[in-house]
Amino acid sequence: MEKYLDQEAKTVVIVMTSGPSTPGRCATPFYLGALLASMDAEVTIFFTMDGVRLVRRGVPENLTAMEGGKRIIEFMRDAKAAGVRFHACRPALPGYDIEPVDLVPEVDEVSSGGALADMILSCDKVLFF
Amino acid sequence: MGTCHGCEVRPELHYDAEFQIWVRVERDGAVSIGMTDISQTKAGRIMHVRVRRPGSLRPRGKPVATVETGKWAGPVPNPFDCVIESANEAVLESPERINRDPYGEWIARVRPSVPIEAALAGLVTGAAAEAGFCERCRADGIECKRA
Repeated sequence: MEKYLDQEAKTVVIVMTSGPSTPGRCATPFYLGALLASMDAEVTIFFTMDGVRLVRRGVPENLTAMEGGKRIIEFMRDAKAAGVRFHACRPALPGYDIEPVDLVPEVDEVSSGGALADMILSCDKVLFF
Repeated sequence: MGTCHGCEVRPELHYDAEFQIWVRVERDGAVSIGMTDISQTKAGRIMHVRVRRPGSLRPRGKPVATVETGKWAGPVPNPFDCVIESANEAVLESPERINRDPYGEWIARVRPSVPIEAALAGLVTGAAAEAGFCERCRADGIECKRA
């Protein structure tokens, strides 16, 4: 690992398909997003599939990746504080009986699948969790 | 020097509004930036610190460094336009030094791109800093711990 940071600004999309059915996969994407944003990357986390359940009000506030660990909402807030933006997948919401008003306020936008496709085609890196 | 909820605050330093970082003007006009007792406590045991390469121009709001612990990763924010002059090599080698002595261990030394008065204008110091620092501890229920 380089001692100094000298990366140029990049755009990164993290597609978050994991959710409360796999709690152990629900902390690291936010940790990594916060770190990337702190390194000048423009980071978007796009919640889809089981991931939309993770941004349902009441879920991340009461979920930890491991027993006794830090709550997922705190990992989310760390990422937000570092500058990460959250998008929730509009087409995924009805399948889980979720309305946009049910989402935690940390979500910046409810976006279409086309918005995700645009991001994937225009960004520098895409990560799937 | 004062303490609130076990958190040390030094009124001679300058702080950002959230009391994440402290700033000290050195005799040569350079400015040292470090983490407050609140920040090191909230972060937990610091495992990695990386500083922007010396010579880098850093606009206000862009981090001068990143910090990683086992449960938190985030920036060391930059409160004014500056150029990175150096990193504290001792901290890069042993980041946990920040947990032991957050005010004794600066992280980055920078040269403001604006007059020093303008650079410090958005920061708080003195009695106002002590009061704001204590209010942050109280509001967030923070009890500081040192390694």
